[in-house]
Amino acid sequence: MSQPPKQAGLELRRLLPFLAFGLVLTGSVLTLSATKVAGLDENNCLSCHDNPELIKTTADGKRISLHVSEEALSKGAHRYIDCTTCHTSEPHKTDTPLTKLSLAQKCGSCHQYQYKLHLESIHGQQLIQGNPDVATCIDCHSPVGNPHSVIRVLEYNAPTYKKNIAQTCGQCHGNEKLMANYGVVEKVYESYMRSFHGKAMQLGTYEVTQLDKATCTNCHGVHDIKSASDPTSPVAGLNNLANTCEQCHPNAGTNFASGFLGHKEASPENIPVAHYTEILFTTLLISVVSFGAIVVIMAIIRFSANKWRE
Amino acid sequence: MVTGIETLSAAKELEEKITRFDIHQIIQHALLMVSFILLVVTGLPLKFHDFAISQWWTAAWGGIEATRFTHRFAAWVMVSVSVYHLLYLWYTINILKRPFPIKMVPGLQDFIKLAQELGYFMGLRKEMPRYDRFNWKEKFDYWAIFWGIPVMAGSGFIMMYPVLVTRFLPGWVVPTALIAHSDEAMLALIWIFMVHIFFNHFTPGVFPFNTSIFTGKVAGERYRREHPLEYERLLGISEQKEETDDESKSDAERNNETDSPDF
Repeated sequence: MSQPPKQAGLELRRLLPFLAFGLVLTGSVLTLSATKVAGLDENNCLSCHDNPELIKTTADGKRISLHVSEEALSKGAHRYIDCTTCHTSEPHKTDTPLTKLSLAQKCGSCHQYQYKLHLESIHGQQLIQGNPDVATCIDCHSPVGNPHSVIRVLEYNAPTYKKNIAQTCGQCHGNEKLMANYGVVEKVYESYMRSFHGKAMQLGTYEVTQLDKATCTNCHGVHDIKSASDPTSPVAGLNNLANTCEQCHPNAGTNFASGFLGHKEASPENIPVAHYTEILFTTLLISVVSFGAIVVIMAIIRFSANKWRE
Repeated sequence: MVTGIETLSAAKELEEKITRFDIHQIIQHALLMVSFILLVVTGLPLKFHDFAISQWWTAAWGGIEATRFTHRFAAWVMVSVSVYHLLYLWYTINILKRPFPIKMVPGLQDFIKLAQELGYFMGLRKEMPRYDRFNWKEKFDYWAIFWGIPVMAGSGFIMMYPVLVTRFLPGWVVPTALIAHSDEAMLALIWIFMVHIFFNHFTPGVFPFNTSIFTGKVAGERYRREHPLEYERLLGISEQKEETDDESKSDAERNNETDSPDF
């Protein structure tokens, strides 16, 4: 009679390791998912600045938000750098807001090399002249253009992640009105996406291993980007262009580079053979396909009529 | 390519199956079809790269490297089939001493019969034109490939080895090749799926699936309907009481000429 309860106890004891494992698993999942990565905030700045309604009114009556989102900050590349690293020791005496140039200077206090290259670039040169159109650090490095949410290049959602670079450049360079002010008429973004480089980039996944295709920065440079008409640009003139092609296509040479349509459609001026080939083949395509369609439609009608008469 | 003669006596006795294609033609069509489909499914996502389905499809293959490899592999299969076909032609004519396949050569008759067929579709004629071994659609398919494969293989080769090619040819061949490749591919794709598949599988008498190119055999009754001139010649009941001899080109040509007054 004592057998059955004893056996039940044994059964339970056998289950114990599983029970313990289950507990540890649930516990770790709960703990890990509950852990919030918090930005470093040694001086408790966020106790006031995490308030979306914190607004300052300047002398000339402008209202400026002083809100710093803790959530954005906690996902940023600089989450372990204290606020005062950038906002110096007496943050309440800093002039706000920053200009595009002073912001670049601020980033440059640590990222000196990139700052130096940027100042020599077409973007930096225009910044120095006070042009507000051009890109400064956060225009490319933050998805929302906010210095508190700069994210690292290798994060898949970073505007500077390789798969996203063309879209990032396209924000300005795909804007026809903005580009018309600089005499840039080529639709650089569309023509890139039409090219094999753009297609391969678009069809590839977000895996880094699939992103060995060329994007804007591979040919035009990164922080040191130059105007395409600047003779020092890697794409200016056939020789520079050929050297740039050769970074990925060994021994390409100028003959190879001369086949590049230059972000333009083929036209009687721009690679005329390609232009006339397009006309020839489009005509052929349309005429043959229309002929086929007409024959098939006529056949369908006649065969249906035959069937209907039966 | 005319192999029907060998089955002449068989067809007379047994009015069921007529051998229309030999084993080489069956293999050539099968390889051409498989490579064509592979080329289409790995090439289309590149042309329509903006479509969400293209991105999903490419990812399903294991990325663009996988579709590229498949595209190139299938392209070499297609080129090999073309070479096989040319060798086969040379072999049957020069070694087996079969007659030159004159019936595939297009002529004025094909245009006349095309007009007659369109007339039938419009209800202006009571009957389909009477075809010989190949009707105008079959000839069009065949010769379109003769034009299409050199264009596709040539332009594909240029894009596959642009650095090598531009060592010998000017740079503009690369963007030109891309345009030609893309447009010619769409032409072939639309024609095959719209015209070829429709007339070979979806027409009365063959719907839903025509097995003749896969088995090489066609039911005698259907042969009589679709290729009456060849059928009658095979059975020796041609109206002109012509000999079933199509070894000689001149005879075949005379056949074509004498066919016309019937319509």
